[in-house]
Amino acid sequence: MRGPALSLAFEGRRPWHWMGLDIVMLNAFPDEATRVRAATLPAGLYADGIDVVFRRGSHSVQALKDCSLDIPRGSWATLIGASGCGKSTLLRVFADIVKPTAGTALLHGVSPAEARANRIYALVQQGSTMLPWRSIIDNVALGLEISGLPKSTRYARAEEALALVGLKGFEKSLPSELSGGMRQRAAIARALTLRPRFLLMDEPFGALDEITRDRLHFELLRILEETGATLLLVTHSISEAVILSDKVIVMTPRPGRISEIIEVDFGRGRTPDLRGDPRFVQYEAQLRRALHQPA
Amino acid sequence: MSSSLSGKLPEFGRFPERIGAILPPVVLIVALILLWSWSAGTGLLPKWLLPSPQAVLGEFSHHSATLLKHARMTAFEALGGFALGALAGAGGAFLLTLVPFLRDMLYPYALASRAIPIIVFTPLIVVMLGRGLVPIILIVAFATYFPVFLALLRGLNTLNADRMELLHSLSATPLQILWKIRLPSSLPMLFAALKVSASGAFITALVTEWIGSNVGLGYLVMVSGQYFKLATMWAAIFSASLMTLALLGLIVLIERLMGRYTSLATEV
Ligand SMILES: Nc1ncnc2c1ncn2[C@@H]1O[C@H](COP(=O)(O)OP(=O)(O)OP(=O)(O)O)[C@@H](O)[C@H]1O
Ligand SMILES: [Mg+2]
Repeated sequence: MRGPALSLAFEGRRPWHWMGLDIVMLNAFPDEATRVRAATLPAGLYADGIDVVFRRGSHSVQALKDCSLDIPRGSWATLIGASGCGKSTLLRVFADIVKPTAGTALLHGVSPAEARANRIYALVQQGSTMLPWRSIIDNVALGLEISGLPKSTRYARAEEALALVGLKGFEKSLPSELSGGMRQRAAIARALTLRPRFLLMDEPFGALDEITRDRLHFELLRILEETGATLLLVTHSISEAVILSDKVIVMTPRPGRISEIIEVDFGRGRTPDLRGDPRFVQYEAQLRRALHQPA
Repeated sequence: MSSSLSGKLPEFGRFPERIGAILPPVVLIVALILLWSWSAGTGLLPKWLLPSPQAVLGEFSHHSATLLKHARMTAFEALGGFALGALAGAGGAFLLTLVPFLRDMLYPYALASRAIPIIVFTPLIVVMLGRGLVPIILIVAFATYFPVFLALLRGLNTLNADRMELLHSLSATPLQILWKIRLPSSLPMLFAALKVSASGAFITALVTEWIGSNVGLGYLVMVSGQYFKLATMWAAIFSASLMTLALLGLIVLIERLMGRYTSLATEV
């Protein structure tokens, strides 16, 4: 997707009902050179020929081999595949945590390092890391604290995000007093406070019960639609992949590569009724076949 | 993530349990004092070795002014040296953490400095700086900075990969990383080291006084020992122990008050 530099500003017109603030304020690139370059490149998530080789002394592990993908701006993609096939690694390449051995990764046309410096993505880690000495609200507000927002704004946004993930009333609790699923929701809330252009989530719903997970799925989709954010999410659940994706990226292990990309054509305005749609079962079956295919 | 089985302080529960925790040590100390009193009374313990508890207690009431004078001096030396040493240790740890070049250059010497038996140099230092408060404070500081320095340096550089990645993804500055995760996660180790340094501070102050001072409880112990004033000597020893315990108690109290850092910081 290509567009003029101004498209960033136009995105600001999207109504931020859920938090009532302007996306442009936080997400426009502060750095002029980056902004100009960003305007002429793919605006979504883009990867071309990514290789990742981890070296430990003499032996090395090829975690990713020749991974390419193109996720247009505002669309939703999930990574699915057996344990150890490199899903987290691919996500971490976009988060500028893992440097690819070869290949190019771009977020809105800029390198992961620039994307990180400009704070245009938010990451939800696989372990939903919390700082154990901080209360939940202080954990959720951490991202805004680091970006230097004033205290009142921080807490207002953190409280909204907490309410959104159903953790109202747990502001003062310590992470150790919460269940694993509640900590996951707090980690999601922390990412949402940043109002990211890209949401990178590593198994964010893994420890949740079916009911909460269902509710959060559609809550997340609603937020994504309102903000126009692009989603890349790692999951092990076939139904979750179908519900949350425009594209399901199927990966196979040793070495980790993308074996198939399945387009899910449910469009926008998805509701829980989706599960009753005959196409839902078809997508699930198609995805299951792709996952069971020998590499 | 894993639960925090390790690193949690034993929790004091409600009333009956608290009594249960406090009672045994109290019973022990009362029993020991009774045994002491009894053996002094029957002459089992010679008076020149250990006078009766009544005699020692009498020393506290009759010579309280003298004891207080000497105790105040020792307290100044130990607390001043402890504070100075802890600050220097902490400052050094921060500096070596923030400036890798300095770490590479100075770390071996910091380790080697541990091998210097500083108390042995007391006569030399007294010749250089004269008798009195300042040289003793410096010696105490030198003797006590190390545990704090090493523990904090270790703590600040023991990095939890997930937390580091989180702050990296948030594009935090090195200083933010230091304040928001490195320092808080090193507090349990810091408090353990402070406790080691605290008792070390009093011991060093007392021993240094033998050579380097003519006031202080250490001096009092030595002089009263030479003149066979055993009750005075024991009163001085008990005073020193009580002050050490008071400082340890204060540190434990602060540690408890900062419980969310010091008891939970291992893992969630
Ligand atoms: N920092 C690292 N150093 C060395 N090897 C690594 C590192 N990170 C990942 N790997 C290896 O890369 C491969 C892919 O790991 P990755 O974590 O991306 O898998 P995954 O698909 O996310 O698995 P899971 O579903 O279990 O989370 C594995 O073989 C793993 O051992
Ligand atoms: Mg993973």
